[in-house]
Amino acid sequence: MRNLIVIPAYNEQGALTRTLSELEGLPDGYEILLVNDGSTDTTGELARKWSETCRRPVYVVDLPINSGIGVTVQTGYIFAAQHGGYRYVIQFDADGQHDAAAIPLLIRECETRDLDLCIGSRFLEPDAGGFRSTAARRLGIRFFTWLISSLSGVRVSDPTSGLRCAGPRAWQRFARCYPEDYPEPESLFWCARNHLRIGEVPVRMWPRQTGVSSIGSRGALYYMIKVSVAILLDRSRIKEHGV
Amino acid sequence: MTAETLMLAGGVSAFFMTVYWVRKRDLREKYAVAWLAVATLLLLCGLFPHIIMCWAEAAHLSYPSAVLFIALGIIYPFAFSVSLSLTRQYRQNVRLMQCLALLEHRVRMLEQNNANAEGEKVSEAGSAGRS
Repeated sequence: MRNLIVIPAYNEQGALTRTLSELEGLPDGYEILLVNDGSTDTTGELARKWSETCRRPVYVVDLPINSGIGVTVQTGYIFAAQHGGYRYVIQFDADGQHDAAAIPLLIRECETRDLDLCIGSRFLEPDAGGFRSTAARRLGIRFFTWLISSLSGVRVSDPTSGLRCAGPRAWQRFARCYPEDYPEPESLFWCARNHLRIGEVPVRMWPRQTGVSSIGSRGALYYMIKVSVAILLDRSRIKEHGV
Repeated sequence: MTAETLMLAGGVSAFFMTVYWVRKRDLREKYAVAWLAVATLLLLCGLFPHIIMCWAEAAHLSYPSAVLFIALGIIYPFAFSVSLSLTRQYRQNVRLMQCLALLEHRVRMLEQNNANAEGEKVSEAGSAGRS
């Protein structure tokens, strides 16, 4: 059974080559899908050139206009659903923040504990080192941890992590419906509320090599409010059976 | 300018604006119906001011500020329906864009496979000719 690594990318030409090189070192059984989110730089061309020489299958899908992280990642889930034959779908950032060595750990955790969603957490092992975001962001992350845990009873230490491995039950649903912007906490809450099995593994992350975060200092308040409202409203929805 | 003349002018302008945008196909008939109803209401109030007086008396509205509430009552459902419509359009656009991107990828793969098959055929024909 193959696994698909989905890389959402927007103007990541500076970091992409290194990210793809690191992923090339993974064992067999992994395929890579780069979803180019309407980049205005050479991200798409770089990835296509890479796909010609890479020893593992690398696919490149270009969204015609910049649509945000949720739409980009969902395109990856739809790709997996249309092509079939994938067991796990892993979301992996293009900006060099994530460690490729964590991917087999996420898969192993999913297999061992029969998880539907496994999150790479920066906070599970406080002494693990690596980049753990700014103090203000950590405060926000703690707030989401508290909110999700109080509403669903599932405690996840890094609900905003973009390094996650989804099993078939989770990614098949994400292919049908996925939040458009700031999707991680919201989709995690959906999984928790619908009794999907969620786990975490400790990972190390690095500061992004190039580019800027999609959540600026001015957008942080909106982000907090929007995601909180989305989670609270999701709780009012009828639970999905047979997911 | 009296309030009656203002309403009359507003009604006529709203009427022509609606017709203009529908003719240009920038406004759907679905929304135009509601805007034409507002224009007609304004026109009627401008032409027959006693209607509004009777209505104000019946509703116990005797302050100009009450107009604000009436305006809000009209604006709110319109603005809300626009938000709903935009959301629906956005979701449809996203789905179409994703389909387009994935289809484009499939076409590119098919073209690449065809080109490879053609290349193989040519090289096979070449080696058969040499032997």
